[in-house]
Amino acid sequence: MNKIAYSAFIAFLASIGTLVSVQALSSDEADDSSEARDITLDELAEHASAESCWKAIHGGVYDITDYIPDHPTEEEVILEWCGRESSEAWDNKRPGRPHSPAAERQLEDYRIGRLVDDQGEPLERAEAAEPPSQAEDQPMEQEAADTAPSPAEDLRLHRAMLGQPMDGHYRGVFTDRGEIQVNITFDLRDGHLTEVNFRHLAYRGVDYLTLEEDEDLYPVMVQHRRITEWLEGEPLTSIFALYEPERVVEEVDGFSGATLRGAKVISAMRDGLNRGVYSWP
Amino acid sequence: MPLRLYRGDLLLIAVLLLPLAIAAPRLGGPPGEAAALLGWVGRVGGILGLAMLLVTAALSIRLPGFDRWFGGLDRLWWLHRLLGFGAFILIMLHVLALGLARVPAGLEVAVLTLFPPLSQLALWSGWLAWLAMVIFLAPTFQFFGRLDYQRWKRLHLLSAAALLLALGHALPLAGETWPWWLLGALGMAAMVWRKLLSPSLARHPYRVESVAPLARGVVEIALRPEGRGLRYRPGQFVYLTPLDESLTAGRGEEHPYTIASAPDDPLLRLGIKDLGDASHALQTVSVGSRAMLEGPYGDFFAVDYAQRDALWLGGGIGITPFVSAARGMAAEDEGRHAQLFYLANGPDRAYYLDELTRCAEDVERLTVTAHFYREQGPLSEAFLRHHCPDYVDREIYLCGPPGMISHLRDLLAAQGVPALRIHCEVFDFL
Ligand SMILES: Cc1cc2nc3c(=O)[nH]c(=O)nc-3n(C[C@H](O)[C@H](O)[C@H](O)COP(=O)(O)OP(=O)(O)OC[C@H]3O[C@@H](n4cnc5c(N)ncnc54)[C@H](O)[C@@H]3O)c2cc1C
Ligand code: HEM
Repeated sequence: MNKIAYSAFIAFLASIGTLVSVQALSSDEADDSSEARDITLDELAEHASAESCWKAIHGGVYDITDYIPDHPTEEEVILEWCGRESSEAWDNKRPGRPHSPAAERQLEDYRIGRLVDDQGEPLERAEAAEPPSQAEDQPMEQEAADTAPSPAEDLRLHRAMLGQPMDGHYRGVFTDRGEIQVNITFDLRDGHLTEVNFRHLAYRGVDYLTLEEDEDLYPVMVQHRRITEWLEGEPLTSIFALYEPERVVEEVDGFSGATLRGAKVISAMRDGLNRGVYSWP
Repeated sequence: MPLRLYRGDLLLIAVLLLPLAIAAPRLGGPPGEAAALLGWVGRVGGILGLAMLLVTAALSIRLPGFDRWFGGLDRLWWLHRLLGFGAFILIMLHVLALGLARVPAGLEVAVLTLFPPLSQLALWSGWLAWLAMVIFLAPTFQFFGRLDYQRWKRLHLLSAAALLLALGHALPLAGETWPWWLLGALGMAAMVWRKLLSPSLARHPYRVESVAPLARGVVEIALRPEGRGLRYRPGQFVYLTPLDESLTAGRGEEHPYTIASAPDDPLLRLGIKDLGDASHALQTVSVGSRAMLEGPYGDFFAVDYAQRDALWLGGGIGITPFVSAARGMAAEDEGRHAQLFYLANGPDRAYYLDELTRCAEDVERLTVTAHFYREQGPLSEAFLRHHCPDYVDREIYLCGPPGMISHLRDLLAAQGVPALRIHCEVFDFL
């Protein structure tokens, strides 16, 4: 009896351990390069070409080689700063105009280390730029018109941010404070969304998918269903329209209240895209 | 333990299945899809596991008489351990199955299901209950050697925390709560009785009348009841709690000892061998000091066993139940025959032999045969057959050290004696 219970105990620990470590390993991949290593100016200078282009921006070092073909400007503009400390260029996309927060977030994907001097001391703290005001929140295009398109509208930004995901079946989640709030599945066919469905929708312990019609939060669930209906057949880039959910569903009050938000749906979908194809159609 | 079903077992099974039966309409049958099946297994495992945990606690009650429903206290403890371990295993199955059932929704989802934010108290309460079980089971698994019995008992009190935490986990999450309130109350009541009430309510005061040395390291203590004495049958045992101030160890501790006196003896006698601190100190317990007795427990010579002639095999201090039975036979005019084999190392260690031989002279139905290991080696089949030709057909009772018991079991099994006809008393519960 003792032996059986003991074996079960060990098997249990092993299984839980495996589950947790597999999860930790698979979610670490994305960010464990971020603070990866110290890079000196000399090393930085060796990567000054289109074949290998590193830039130092506010203390961080970024390998943007893969990004160059996607950059909206002429290649020279971006190549000019390869192998150099480029904070200035970054902060002055156009004179006095820094890059947008969206671009900044995108930049983080390319981070490979931090810039240090010969003694190994960090050269400049990678401080987050002041959150720019609404007017400055602009896409990366240089030739933008005076009235910048909203992030919900700007197609070129969307393409740049999403790349060209393969067709297939995707699953993604949005979690907040340890709670799974959105778990969504969708198919991509020729870059268009189909079969968009929530597998899970919750907020503060309320499971929206099981709500009865007469419950207070039921309309919120309906709005989410509208979202999936609306997305059906749309190009993938249309998910950004959910930044301004009033474009998509009516009665956004409940929707934009402190419950579920379009941004969460976008986040969950992009999580799915980052994870890659879940299964092939 | 041979598989014999007692009436208490049926009650036990009914109570164990109650919560599952209540939840059955909600759960339905096992679904076909893998994740759903895992979820189902997880829920069923949790319900059965908690039921087992609470019933295990309820089985710690220890009431004289009640233990006989389950074939005696030692079998009750065996059931207690069986269900306790069963609960532990099912609880882990419950956790693992529910975790794995969420894997299709993503590994994070699975891990978050098992390790949610701290604010989800009910879930963490479940983990703590499990942890408490791991801690109090650790000595059983011998993580850090074997604890001594009293320390083990104190550690085992963590089971009360495990019980409360497990209820704290289940009550907020369960579909229907009344079965849990019911079983939880049974379990808690048993523990409260056992640890808080029974020490003052269930113990009977006795005084040490005499302490007679039988051999080196063995004494017979005679106890006189202060009030009405316990009523008992041969083969039963009591928990002895000596209160003698001059004891160097074991004062106020309860230890089980088999009653060696005949049921009609006005004194209650215990043959006590020095096997450790407490039993060592008892060798010199003061005459006139007080001792509390709780019992009687056990059902070694149960009346519902077949009443054919008996074969008794007693070794070492394991002779005590047979001493009681032999002493008692003088008072009964009729009954079945019994042949006792007294297995001792040598004549000097056969401390009850003289008295048993005298009993056998007085009582025609009783025969006593001594067997000395030092002279004859382990008991052989030929010896047994020579002195008791029909031994294979008798109802057989064994009591003695583990080595002797396993030797005899093998010997008897080889002769085709059915396990149900062999009754065995062990002097160690762990
Ligand atoms: C049903 C039963 C009947 C017994 N009858 C007799 C008897 O007639 N004569 C006799 O000399 N001994 C008898 N014993 C054994 C006796 O209980 C132990 O020898 C005694 O408890 C040892 O305590 P200790 O502190 O001296 O030794 P320890 O060194 O503490 O223990 C020695 C051994 O006894 C076991 N033990 C200790 N305390 C307990 C306890 N409270 N409950 C169960 N096991 C314990 C330990 O696990 C260990 O294996 C009987 C035991 C049981 C279970
Ligand atoms: C899982 C394996 C378990 C084993 C092996 C085990 C074993 C034992 C044993 C041998 C005893 C007898 C102690 C004595 O000599 O009086 C005992 C007592 C007891 N058990 Fe368990 N048990 C287990 C689980 C549990 C559980 C799950 C609970 C409650 C939730 C529990 C509650 C108790 C209580 C209250 C006592 C009385 C303790 C005392 O007198 O100090 N046990 N257990």
